[in-house]
Order: sequence, then C-alpha cells, then structure tokens
Amino acid sequence: MAQLKASPACSTRATAPSFHTTGHLYHHFWKAKPSSFKELGLRTSVGANKLQVIKAAARSDTEVVSETTKAGGLRGKLNKVVLAYSGGLDTSVIVPWLRENYGCEVVCFTADVGQGIKELEGLEQKAKASGACQLVVKDLKEEFVKDYIFPCLRAGAVYERKYLLGTSMARPVIAKAMVDVAKEVGADAVSHGCTGKGNDQVRFELTFFALNPKLNVVAPWREWDITGREDAIEYAKKHSIPVPVTKKSIYSRDRNLWHLSHEGDILEDPSNEPKKDMYMMSVDPEDAPDQAEYVEIGLESGLPVSVNGKSLSPASLLAELNEIGGRHGIGRIDMVENRLVGMKSRGVYETPGGTILFAAARELESLTLDRETIQVKDSLALKYAELVYAGRWFDPLRESMDAFMQKITETTTGSVTLKLYKGSVTVTSRTSPFSLYREDISSFESGQIYDQADAAGFIRLYGLPVRVRAMLEQGI
Amino acid sequence: MAQLKASPLCSTPATAPSLHTTGHLLYHQFWKAKPSSFKELGLRTSIGATKLKVIKAAARSDTEVVSESTKGGGLRGKLNKVVLAYSGGLDTSVIVPWLRENYGCEVVCFTADVGQGIKELEGLEQKAKASGACQLVVKDLKEEFVKDYIFPCLRAGAIYERKYLLGTSMARPVIAKAMVDVAKEVGADAVSHGCTGKGNDQVRFELTFFALNPKLNVVAPWREWDITGREDAIEYAKKHNIPVPVTKKSIYSRDRNLWHLSHEGDILEDPANEPKKDMYMMSVDPEDAPDQAEYVEIGLESGLPVSVNGKRLSPASLLAELNEIGGKHGIGRIDMVENRLVGMKSRGVYETPGGTILFAAARELESLTLDRETIQVKDSLALKYAELVYAGRWFDPLRESMDSFMQKITETTTGSVTLKLYKGSVIVTSRMSPFSLYREDISSFESGQIYDQADAAGFIRLYGLPMKVRAMLEQGI
Repeated sequence: MAQLKASPACSTRATAPSFHTTGHLYHHFWKAKPSSFKELGLRTSVGANKLQVIKAAARSDTEVVSETTKAGGLRGKLNKVVLAYSGGLDTSVIVPWLRENYGCEVVCFTADVGQGIKELEGLEQKAKASGACQLVVKDLKEEFVKDYIFPCLRAGAVYERKYLLGTSMARPVIAKAMVDVAKEVGADAVSHGCTGKGNDQVRFELTFFALNPKLNVVAPWREWDITGREDAIEYAKKHSIPVPVTKKSIYSRDRNLWHLSHEGDILEDPSNEPKKDMYMMSVDPEDAPDQAEYVEIGLESGLPVSVNGKSLSPASLLAELNEIGGRHGIGRIDMVENRLVGMKSRGVYETPGGTILFAAARELESLTLDRETIQVKDSLALKYAELVYAGRWFDPLRESMDAFMQKITETTTGSVTLKLYKGSVTVTSRTSPFSLYREDISSFESGQIYDQADAAGFIRLYGLPVRVRAMLEQGI
Repeated sequence: MAQLKASPLCSTPATAPSLHTTGHLLYHQFWKAKPSSFKELGLRTSIGATKLKVIKAAARSDTEVVSESTKGGGLRGKLNKVVLAYSGGLDTSVIVPWLRENYGCEVVCFTADVGQGIKELEGLEQKAKASGACQLVVKDLKEEFVKDYIFPCLRAGAIYERKYLLGTSMARPVIAKAMVDVAKEVGADAVSHGCTGKGNDQVRFELTFFALNPKLNVVAPWREWDITGREDAIEYAKKHNIPVPVTKKSIYSRDRNLWHLSHEGDILEDPANEPKKDMYMMSVDPEDAPDQAEYVEIGLESGLPVSVNGKRLSPASLLAELNEIGGKHGIGRIDMVENRLVGMKSRGVYETPGGTILFAAARELESLTLDRETIQVKDSLALKYAELVYAGRWFDPLRESMDSFMQKITETTTGSVTLKLYKGSVIVTSRMSPFSLYREDISSFESGQIYDQADAAGFIRLYGLPMKVRAMLEQGI
C-alpha cells in the first residue's frame, strides 16, 4: 500500500452501503430527463402512497412478531437483535431505531474480512455510545478466503464476464457469522443496513433463511422514513447519539481482502471515466514500474498454495498478491452490471490479487483438462457465478456444482509463472505433473501414440454427416 | 416372461453384433440403392485395389505397434495371449482361429453375464474349446452392471436423443473393464472384440481399454480381415475345421441385457416401416396387455431405487422384477432413429420395461425434492452425461465429475412413488418424500405465515423492473 496515492475520500464500510448512496438520489433527480419527472416525483414524495407502503410493511412484520410476544415498541416486540455494524452513520442510527421500534436489545456484530484496520478502530466505543449492549468482532479472513473465495476461483466463477464477485462472496460469510452470533447470544432477530436497491439485502437474507428460517429479519432501510444523510443526522441528534466524525466520501465503497468496490458520484453516469484519484488498491498503469515483475503461483488440486515458491495460508497468499498486483496496476474492472433486483448499476472494482489467481488457474487448466471438460466446466461456471451473485451460497445446487468442481480439478496441480506489467497479466510458463500436453504427440515428428494415418479414418467418419448432407443436396 | 409369445427368432449374442448384421446391411443396402448412388456403392463393396490398400495400411499400422515387442510369429505379427469378448456365435467362433492364425497367439475367450439370459450361456465352454481357445472365462456381472452403471445413469436422468435409455451403451464399459481385469489375471498382452466398424460398440470397448490400460494391444478383426459376411465366415470355419454353430437364422440383430433388448436390421433398416408384432420379446403388445391396470410402488433413497411394492431388493433383482411387471403391461417400447457416434443415422427399436418404470419414478420424486433452477441445471447436465455414456467415455473424469454433482444433488431424493401401468403407459398416482419442498400450507388458497400474498407486489415490481425500464425507454418516458 505504500505506493498508493493517499486519497482524502477513503471511508469504507464493511457491511453496509453508506448513507451517501441514498443521499445521492438527489443526483438522480437532477439528471432526470424532463419526461420522467412524474415518475420520479411519485417515487420520491413522502405522500399517501409511501405511507400506504409503510403500513403494509409494518403490518406484515408485526404479524410475524406478534405471534411470539406482546407489543413493546412502535412496530412490535423483539427481544434481542444482532445488527451487522460498520460504525458509520447509518448503522449507528439503526441501533437506537431498533430499540425504539422493537423494544429490543441490540448486539452489534462486525466481521473482519480484510476491510482494513482503520475500519475497525474504536468500534466498541461507538457501538456502546449508540446504545448497543455489546459489540462482537470476529476475524473471518482465513475462512473467507479458504471457504468462499477459493471455491469460486476453482470454479472459474466470473459474473457478467468481468465481476469477480468480491462483495457477493463476503456477504454469506458475514451473514453466517451473524446467525452463529444470534445463537450464541440468544437473539431472536438479525438486522442489516442494506438499502432496498441493492443486491446485498438478498445475499444477507437468503443466507439467514437458509441457515435459520426461524430468525426474524429487520431491514430498516425498507421500513423507516429516513431518506438520507441529513435525516439520519437529525435523528441521531434527536436521540443524543454521537454523529461519527468522518470525512465525507463522495463514493460508496466496500472493501475486503479480495477487492475494493467503488460506486456513486460521477460513476453513476456510465459515460464518465473514473478519476485517477479514486483508486486505492492499485497504482495507475501509467504510473506503474517500467520493469515487469514475474510471479510464480503454485496450485494443488485447483487451489493456490504458494507464491514464488513460498507456501502461504489462504489469507496471507491473497494479501501478498494484492500487494504485488496493486503496485503494477493489476485488476481494475469497470462495468455496468444487472443487479438481482432488476436495475442496471455501474461499479468499478479493484481486484489485484484475485486477477492474478484467476489467470494462474485458467492457464494451469489448459494443461490438465481436455476440450470437452473445459466446455462443460466453463458452462457450469456461468451458473455458479449467477448463484453466488444472487446470494444462494448455501443452496444445494451451488454445493452440488462445487462437488463437480472439486472432482474435475483433482489433477489441476502444478505451477504457472505470470508477467505483470503496467496493468496486464501475461502467462510465461506452465508446468504440471498431470499435464495432458505431450511434446511427442504435438511435435511434427511421427510417433507411436499418434499415427498420422489415423487422421484419414477420423476425418471420414467425423465428416460423414457433412458428406451425407452434401450427397442429398446433389442428388447423389 | 411367461406371458411373452415365443418367437423362433431369438438368437441374441451378448457382446458383439452377429455376422448377419454386416452381411445383411451390405446386401440390403445394395438392393435398396437408388440408381444414382450405384457408383458409390460399387466403390465401397468391391474387393479391389482400394480395399487391398486399406488393408495394407491397417496391417502396417498394427504391425508397427506389435513388432516393437516381439518378432514375427503370425501373418500380421506376434501377440502372446489375447482376451476375446466371446458370444459363442458364428462371428466370435471364427475370430478365435483367425487370431491364432494371424497373430500366433493363445486365445482366452471371455463372456460377461449381464443378464442376456441363460440360453445364451449354454455350452459356451465347449464351443470355445472347439474353436481353438485355450480357456473360457465367464463372470457374472449383473449386480455390478445395475449398481455401478445403470443406477448412476438413472440418477442422472441420462437419456440419449430424447428416447434411448442407453442399454447397450452402459453394458459395454462393464464388459470391457472385466476384459482388462481378465487380461491382467491371465497375463494377456491384447484384447479383441467382434464389433463391426460401423457401430458405436467398437468405440465403447476401445475407449474403455484405452482408459484402463493404455498398454494393451487392441485387435478388431472386422476392421482388418477380408471376410465380408455370413457365407464367408462359414467358409472360413469349414476350412479351419471349426464347428459351425447351429442356430436358427435370425433376421434381426439383437443385443440383450438386464436393462434392455435392442432390435436392429431387416425391415427396421427402413424407418418408413413399422416393426412387426412378433419381433418383440420382453414386452406384451399394449393391445394384448391386461384390461386391468396394475399399481407398483417404487421406493428410492438418495436418488436410487431400493424397493418394489415395499419389498427391498438388490439392484439386479429389483430390475428383473420390474422387467417382469412392466413387460406384461407392454411398458417401455422405444422406436427411434439415432445419430451414431461414427456419424451415420441408424434405426433401432428397444424394449426397456423395468427401466422405463424406474425413470418415471425418479423423475416424479425429483419434482417434490428439487427446486426449479436445480431441475434446469440437472436436466442440462443429464444431456451431456448421456452423450458421454453413449460415446463410450464411462471412465472419463468428466463423467465422473458430473456424477459427483448428481450424487450430491440427489441426496434428498428419498421417498416413494406409485405408478399405474396400463396398456403400454406409465402414469404417476402418488408421490411422497420426507424432504419434499411441496407444502400445502403454501400452495393452498389459504393465507399463511410463510407466504404473504402482499409480498407478490414487491416481487412483481422488481422481477418486472427491466421490462418496465425497456417499455419506458420505448415510450420516451
């Protein structure tokens, strides 16, 4: 990270988009075409329509809650709620809101998935100041890499041709830990600060459903009438909650060991190029070293185990490659993606270590897998990525496809050397004890295994349908 | 089988098409040929310079391989000992002396019992010895065939080209694997089969040999010798004092095992023809089946059948029982034109009574235990799985990896299905599973806690968002 240019806009939350994303709705309004004014008006007004929606939501949630207890808050009664907590303004406000609306205790939970030490500083103090009864922090970096990132790498899962699923993989590991914590502290509900416009709400809640369908789920952003940053600050002041002092970030960011994502501000217009000073994990290729660097990745049964001959744990290996890749400007991805909830969104990702690993795995497979196997594996990888993106990590379908991936990559063992130069990754060497590539076959010399005369028979039979069709057309 | 009408046409080799297939194919095609294709047929059937050239090329290729390990000892080279897939019919009886003459080797005949019927196994040892074999090895592979080959395909839902339940395709790898094992046991350096060069089975045998023991030499006489048909074979047998098996002439080429009986040849070679009623052997004609339907309950555990009408049975016994039940109700007749691996189209009629029942049972149980998207992915993989099995790639890591998927995804496919069998049709009448994802409290019209009807509004708005955005764009909104 030493070579990264410092940026004043560097507040990054682990578990929830920042308020600024929602506040930026005003940007939408400003950019709207005149012809869509009516639609926007309907969507943004605090009128009868919204009240109706709120009432419907409240009724639905209260029906569930009231089954188990009598009223104790504005919306019903919960005993104890585990909240995915970042320490930012939004989750700081959610703590008192939960207490006020559900009459419950709030246990704040923060997962360390590699978002950086700065993000974890002073959290307990902040949580208590907001009214939480306790803060639980769990270091999940090794589990995140070994059990979530590496299966996706082995599968070759890439969403919509580019996205390496950094946020998609992080949410289930966090949500699973929340279910575990809920059990540990005897909570009857979990809560998250995701907006109703993103994918993460689905990822959190599908994981909750899959692991503990009895848990109540509270999603304040889909229930409350706070509309943006200013509203949140006002609510905090009214309830004597310290407003976190953070530099205003114009981007919404999410960081973990695999990637850093940027959304919002000028990125919301896909015709804009990102500004140079937005990036944090990688050097601009134009500023990267003029000298290329070679890195050797060792893999065993489809999973990376070493960098430049040194065996490393999953999380350490990835951290090392982030460092190496970042200084060469590797892994910048700029894309417009289709969200699960139906809209298109623009995101820019930095995935330096992951990009290196994907290149290594792909090149090694070119030695170890035959043509048809690669076709089937790549076809399944598309579906695999789709399931992970959609928050279906714990679905038997993903698990069964993972059984396929584990089996088919048993022989993907060996090493790949890659050349990193000004944003590009080039393969320079590949070796494997299970290689199906044989020089004695592919060279021009004759040999025992491949008899050139065999090609005559192969061609005649491979081409038989072609010939029969032609004979038919020519009346032969 | 008691209710099946006896047919005089019932010679069915287990491991190789009969000589008659080839003889019949060639002559029949010639007779049916359009005048405009006479030249092509003439070229293909003539014993002229072209064929001799091909034979020489083949001989050179094979001899090069063989001569690496030994000096000349036969017309084509030297092999020490060859394991031959042996049916006892005319073709494999002739192959025994041909191998001895051309490769100077000992011949070990091997016959796998995969449920082709006791009649097919009678007197084999005597026949083999009379042909010049040094020994006959017979192995009962019925349970292994069903448990390790048929049931994985059933669990995968593998069906080739919409209809074919892969009866012959599954049998060849189990036989070929056993041949590799026998070759090791008797110290053989080669294996041989009597498949023609026009069929799929040559590929299935040889790919299995390649996968399990790439060092074994493979001899395929039909692709090497100049015997062109049944008459040639009889003449060769007489010349070498080999008893000609006395069998009633069958106008069909048949292959039978515990899963199915296949019919090819004769009038079937014209797909415009309907099969004759008296061709069928494993099933009663639906028009002659009982007027009273029969119900059969199949129990499954993790995607595999375990019981029939509450009675637990071993894989082979279970299948045999269902063949009996299904056969008497005319279940499982399949008539199709299929694309062979070697490129041509061929016509085949199959009888798969027990298998058809099992496929219906597995499919119905999965409708309870698998969600929408899982069924879509599984069915998509089943197409590829069937293709690999048809192509003889049983021992390919790709099929094995897809099987890992199938095994995992069917962990919850446990329960029972009751089917109604009536005059050729199979209808589901009941299905239950402790892992069912079907819940009456959700699907009924009553309101409930899990499914809140108000949720549909939000779901529809978001599910339809791209559609709405597209419409807004088109209407300039």
